[in-house]
Amino acid sequence: MGRYLLRRLPSALLVLLASSVAIFGLLRLVPGDPATTLAGADAPPEAVAAIRAELGLDRPLGTQYVTWLGDVLTGDLGRSYLIGGQIADLVRSGLVNTLVLTAAALLLAVAGSLVTSLLWARVERGPLDSLLTSVNTLALALPTFVTGVALVLVLGIVLRVLPTGGTPPAGFARDPDIAVQYLLMPAVCLALPASAALTRFLTEALRTELAAPYVTTARAAGVRSSRLLVAHALPAALPTYLTVLGLQAGGLLGGAVLVEAIFSWPGLGQLAAQAIDRRDYPVVQVLLLLSVAVFVVVQLTTDVVHAWLDPRVRIGGLT
Amino acid sequence: MTELLTRTGVDGTVVPAPAAVEPDRPEEAAAASRTRSRSWRALTRGRGLVGLVLLGLVVLAGLLAPVLSPWDPLQQVPGANLLRPGGDHLLGTDQVNRDVWSRTLHGIRADLVVLAVGVPLGALAGSLLALLGTLSGVVDVAVQRLFDLLLSFPTLVFAIALTAVIGPGTWTVVTVIAVLETPVFGRVLRSAVLTVTAQPYVEASVAMGAPRRWVLRRHVLPNARDPLAVQLALSLSLAVFVEGAMSFLGIGVRPPAPSLGSLISDGIGYAESNVAYVVAPLVVVVVVVLGLQLVAQALGRAARGVR
Repeated sequence: MGRYLLRRLPSALLVLLASSVAIFGLLRLVPGDPATTLAGADAPPEAVAAIRAELGLDRPLGTQYVTWLGDVLTGDLGRSYLIGGQIADLVRSGLVNTLVLTAAALLLAVAGSLVTSLLWARVERGPLDSLLTSVNTLALALPTFVTGVALVLVLGIVLRVLPTGGTPPAGFARDPDIAVQYLLMPAVCLALPASAALTRFLTEALRTELAAPYVTTARAAGVRSSRLLVAHALPAALPTYLTVLGLQAGGLLGGAVLVEAIFSWPGLGQLAAQAIDRRDYPVVQVLLLLSVAVFVVVQLTTDVVHAWLDPRVRIGGLT
Repeated sequence: MTELLTRTGVDGTVVPAPAAVEPDRPEEAAAASRTRSRSWRALTRGRGLVGLVLLGLVVLAGLLAPVLSPWDPLQQVPGANLLRPGGDHLLGTDQVNRDVWSRTLHGIRADLVVLAVGVPLGALAGSLLALLGTLSGVVDVAVQRLFDLLLSFPTLVFAIALTAVIGPGTWTVVTVIAVLETPVFGRVLRSAVLTVTAQPYVEASVAMGAPRRWVLRRHVLPNARDPLAVQLALSLSLAVFVEGAMSFLGIGVRPPAPSLGSLISDGIGYAESNVAYVVAPLVVVVVVVLGLQLVAQALGRAARGVR
């Protein structure tokens, strides 16, 4: 296991390094000079030059990149140009909110897909199958902003049973009942497409297993069908499920950007939107790097778990 | 292994890949025309027809927007603030006194432009890159890694990064959609090429000295058309999502021009005064997505030979 991780680690680090160069370079291509923006439109050239020197923008690009990377690696994310304050503080408060939202959504997606798939895998025809197919297709196809706005409209504005947006005023820990009220709509909205995709994969995998000869043998030997499903088919379908789950988890963080905007949830997505709006590039830079890092870690974890579950991957017979 | 199982759907979520299309057999000489009539049949009856009609209505509304709109979509009518539907304004007015019905029609028009330019552009780029990859192994690996890289970014993170560089606006939305669709179409075409070139009859025609271009036109493209058509319908759906999502993030089509996404994102804030403001564009998006889904399903079934 450790050896597999070691084999995968260099390429993951390479991806991270390459992305950091790309992100750094990309934001240097942006028209407009942050020093001019900071100093104001009619500031004297000396003032602009002073700010440029202070930010290190007058040094060669390579030096700037190395300094920036060194600072980021040692935990100094720098200062925000316009929003104000340390980027680390902005990121930390946003990160907590985003993680709470994503974790809740992931939990809902897993629970929803497990329950639905175990039910769905056993009915291959008939009205229940048609119903589940339609609901599943719809959940996959409807854009997140449609489900989100529809939820806000019905539950928040017409029925007034849930708050239309924002985070719980007292925080998540102090009053769990209130926190759940605030969390419910955004988490369901974020979880829906992921849950639908997971359900479809797991149902397919379960049906394939149920049709396999070993299941027929077990059935002939008198094993009950519920036990066949849970004790035989489910473990066999698990590696595929976990791989898809890993991909979905990465997707959830991307989807959170939109869900946060719909529900005014002050997470990293909102921070990114705000930073772009005000052209606060140091913040954008850190957030993009963070999202790549999360993606790489999720991918690596998925591969390692997959290898742990499936010896063929570990040995290298299947890539 | 996941590459084989999955493709990226709406919002970067992963959905099962469409079942591989069984290539046409050599003895069926009129393969191409048969596929065409099969797809055509699928679209002129049942769910395909329903989907096509739904899409047709929306497209027509968008094309005829200047004729159907009683007001200029940007005109601020004095004294008409957040009116409910009725009277001079079929769907009421918005927070700065503009006619919601006219703005919804012009919003459809804006989305039509974004979809009609962005998706085909991405499809073309992806297909060309994939075909380029079939010329040599090195190019193929390079193209595949490029596709991996493009697919690895979450959709909206990518949209944000690109907007940070080139600034927001309609053409940014188009660019984001085109770049996002490039690897999706590239992979569909590549897998179609790989499936068909592995067939003995293609091997036979290559062995008999058929030129590359002839094989491409005679065998590869006819077999790639079905999966590409299905992907086109799904990708248009993704493009609707991207336009709307970018509007919600404030990096979409620039105000005051309307788009479906910006109407929904603005309208939800005024739902208590004029609920039609948000419901009208919402209904249009649902109709479009539903229509595309039905068409994709009909084409997919036809390609797999399911009645």
